[in-house]
Amino acid sequence: MAATTSAAQQHPPALTFPRPIFAALSPHPFLQAHLSSTANDRNNSSKAPFRANGRTPTEFRSPGINTGSLTHCNGSAVVRLGNTAVVCGVRAEILKEEDIPGGRTFASTEEEDENEDEDDTEELSTLRLLVPNVELSTGSTPQHIPGNAPSTFAQTLVTRLRNTLLSTRLVRASDLRIAYTPSSAGSDSESEPPQVKAYWVLYIDTLFISIDGSAFDAAFLAILAALRNTRIPRAYYDEEFEAVLCDDDPKSARVLRLRGLPVPSTFAVFEGRDEDGDAEGKLEWILSDPDAFEESVCKESVCVVVDCSAAGASASRKGSTDGAVVRKIEKSGGTVVGREDMKVLVGRSAERWGVWHKALKEQI
Amino acid sequence: MAPLPTADLTTLHRADGSATYTHLSHTIIGSVNGPIEVQRRDELPSSATLEVNIRPAGGVGTPRERHLETLVHDTLRSVVLVEKIPRTLVQVTLQVRSLPEEESGGADSSTTASSLTLLPHLLHTSLLALLSASIPLRTTLTSTVVAIPRDGQGMLVSPTANELLRRRPMRSIHVFAFDGEGKLLLNESEGEFGVEEWDEACEMAEEVCCKGDGGVGLGEGMDVDGEGQAQSLEAWLRGVVGRKVEVEQRWRVAT
Repeated sequence: MAATTSAAQQHPPALTFPRPIFAALSPHPFLQAHLSSTANDRNNSSKAPFRANGRTPTEFRSPGINTGSLTHCNGSAVVRLGNTAVVCGVRAEILKEEDIPGGRTFASTEEEDENEDEDDTEELSTLRLLVPNVELSTGSTPQHIPGNAPSTFAQTLVTRLRNTLLSTRLVRASDLRIAYTPSSAGSDSESEPPQVKAYWVLYIDTLFISIDGSAFDAAFLAILAALRNTRIPRAYYDEEFEAVLCDDDPKSARVLRLRGLPVPSTFAVFEGRDEDGDAEGKLEWILSDPDAFEESVCKESVCVVVDCSAAGASASRKGSTDGAVVRKIEKSGGTVVGREDMKVLVGRSAERWGVWHKALKEQI
Repeated sequence: MAPLPTADLTTLHRADGSATYTHLSHTIIGSVNGPIEVQRRDELPSSATLEVNIRPAGGVGTPRERHLETLVHDTLRSVVLVEKIPRTLVQVTLQVRSLPEEESGGADSSTTASSLTLLPHLLHTSLLALLSASIPLRTTLTSTVVAIPRDGQGMLVSPTANELLRRRPMRSIHVFAFDGEGKLLLNESEGEFGVEEWDEACEMAEEVCCKGDGGVGLGEGMDVDGEGQAQSLEAWLRGVVGRKVEVEQRWRVAT
């Protein structure tokens, strides 16, 4: 704060603004003044500049997670990241085999495949067994006008969430199949193959209570926490009823066996303007975990999804020097982040993975 | 090495600028209207408003198209000189006309891979249409796909749909776009990969997109490729623009 007003105080008759008005009137110079001036003013901690929200450029907000907060869901979580708050609920419903159009079958129910590499993405995506949805609640962000069709922002977010869920192969199709092995009593063939009689469909609803930047991170982590919290009742096909029934004993419910722990981290690139041509030092800052104000002034953004949970197993993988497996990189909007910067960002994301891993672990 | 795309500029007569683009059995028609009047709600005081509409080959737009629109919009925002035409609207419409047979398998083809392989074509088409409309641009862009198969052997650069289908499943798929100076403009990667692998893929994409000595000689690139030399996308783009300029200057040349 001192940094921004001191410049104005040097010229006595000049206008002085309170901080929020400066930010509203000229957001871009406001953030630039913060990032570039601190090197001179904060003499003791002159290394890292501070952003308008008091964080250093590489500092993330600390997450808050609460799972199992909704009673009518199979799994739920509330995630808070600064002023971004998301509620996610997972509801499992049964998709009967006869309701699958086209009678498509994915013949891979052999013997509870524990195979890690089983490729079930197609099964999950064609049958749409994972249905994420995003809802922005009224008042969650000033840009959102209530009562309209889902905005481009919400639709983009849903697509990104769905793509990430599928491409990281987080949920196993084998967890969602409801198989039935015909009883071989009296019949000649002893080992008739199990048939898939139905599927569990997971409806993953995320509701934004408020958005203050990094909406994708918060939403995906809420989904992750909710899926880890999800318990699916034991379902079986009953020959006599010729229907799928569920066991109401909570002890027989089981959790989903998720593959790995992909954690997203969002970065925004702030490009300073050099109007007088007397810029000393750099004019670009890569800000971790931007808030809504920063997102509004930054054009370029990067999102990196890393998974370090298999660090032991995949340590031999070519390239993953620090055990981080990259699952997704999305970068658009500018040309600042090049190949070298991206490596640094993957490193920052790997660090962030540790924080989320710890936070999620505490919940269980 | 995949064949280079073919492009025809100004194929539509009513739009300010248009382009028909065909590459690897993707055909896309792009049209640009602008600078035109902007709705008060969308008006930006210091820059032009960009609007991108993507129409799929079949059916109406879905959230997948919204996502692609956002990506194309964010990329074009740093390509178009939006500050030069403030308080106006530049409208880009991209109609996918045909997809490769392998990808047009009904409405269920909305897999993530096919949305990534479409992205470079959309970007190229939008750029060509902008060129055709003579919208002031800051730079050009070239884009390509790199796919790494599961066995990790042999990266596929700008693979055909058939190649992708045969080598399925892919371990990772990357889309890169570079600007005229060879800087990374857009990157969408998904799958499972390490930093080094990503770096390697990026380098290969850079080679395909903007290899060459970067000379400004206008017509020279077109004669060289006669010998079957692998030509970079940037040289291709240069050729397309060269031909456009040639057509526009023909009244001068003709005697």
